[in-house]
Amino acid sequence: MKLTVISGAARARSKSNTALILENFCRGYEAEGNQTQTFYLSDRNQWEAARAAFDASDNLLIALPLYVENLPGLLLEFLGTLTPKRTPGAKLAFLVQGGFPEASQLRCCEEYLETLPARLGCIYGGTLIKGNMFFLRLLSDKQQEELRMFETMGKRFAQLGRFDKDEVTLFAAPEYMPETALKVFRGPGKFFQRLVMNAISRKMGGRGNLEARPYKDGE
Amino acid sequence: MRLLIVSTLPEEDPEARQVIGTLRAKAEECRVIMAREIRPCSGCNACWLVTPGICSIRDGYEEILKAYLQYDATVFVCGTALGFAEYRMKNVIDRMLPLVTMLLTVKDGQMRHVMRYKKQLRWGLVYTGEADETYMNRWMERVMVNAGGVCLGAFSASRVQEVPV
Ligand SMILES: Cc1cc2nc3c(=O)[nH]c(=O)nc-3n(C[C@H](O)[C@H](O)[C@H](O)COP(=O)(O)O)c2cc1C
Repeated sequence: MKLTVISGAARARSKSNTALILENFCRGYEAEGNQTQTFYLSDRNQWEAARAAFDASDNLLIALPLYVENLPGLLLEFLGTLTPKRTPGAKLAFLVQGGFPEASQLRCCEEYLETLPARLGCIYGGTLIKGNMFFLRLLSDKQQEELRMFETMGKRFAQLGRFDKDEVTLFAAPEYMPETALKVFRGPGKFFQRLVMNAISRKMGGRGNLEARPYKDGE
Repeated sequence: MRLLIVSTLPEEDPEARQVIGTLRAKAEECRVIMAREIRPCSGCNACWLVTPGICSIRDGYEEILKAYLQYDATVFVCGTALGFAEYRMKNVIDRMLPLVTMLLTVKDGQMRHVMRYKKQLRWGLVYTGEADETYMNRWMERVMVNAGGVCLGAFSASRVQEVPV
């Protein structure tokens, strides 16, 4: 079985969390002798080939980072250039990952994605959601081991031919953070995150206050 | 009410003219910004971590960022595609990131960004074309939860009169 994958992330492949997740997911999908081919929309030179692959494939996965509760503008632009399929039967699934840790934060986007395949002449193949991915690129190789969970989901997707909503809910848990975790976050976590964010900022060449207000009107 | 309108519809589009005209008549003062050429957010995180509050893309969006802070309310006016806000408007909304800081807080049991400015934003959306109004409202509500502001609602163009501005 061959899966055509399109990444709707705006960041270049070398910097994108979506790309890192897809590497692992596709390894899992390929485990039993399946094939994948991935296109990255961050590179506009790949759009034409991605469109042609969309037209030719009946087994599709679109992966994306959550951007303000929904699809990134870049991906919407690409989708607008597609011609809906005329022959029925093609399946379109999604993989959405976001920065906030709770699965509940991805549900609004998921609701839209449930309606999207029909508009493109496809059958809905389910959506894999996962939060807490903001720091992925900043983790050590050892911590990135956690990404193996996407390899497992890739294997599972190959077996089922779609994402099962109940399985995804287990995978994406917690739906909401437990009150104990929120308490830590409101207390010591408040100071700890400042330390971490400032350190990352310095590493990226940042200067100045993370809470700076460059425009005076909002004060 | 001092109203900001950010539109991604073509200036000469009759429906756009009608929507903008109706909104204009409701406000004491109104500024319209045409934003058809706003580029997509590149996800570089500079506005959070390198030059806090300032976007690295120079395409005129800074003018819109400043205007959000100057006006009492903002109404976005856009077309739709695939049953959702067209990509041009999503680019505009995605580029709001400089308004929030990288720091997180908890609000109503969910993680949220700490807002950069004290001003409470009031945003609404008017769209032409086909979309599910209930869903568009759900999305706009979520946008405003993230922006720590008040959602004025999402309205199809035929209901522009009902926008609470
Ligand atoms: C413009 C923009 C908007 C975002 N909006 C959300 C959001 O609404 N919810 C969320 O959980 N994460 C949000 N994020 C975080 C990204 O989804 C997250 O960092 C993701 O891992 C980035 O993947 P990428 O490296 O492939 O772009 C946003 C990031 C950007 C740049």
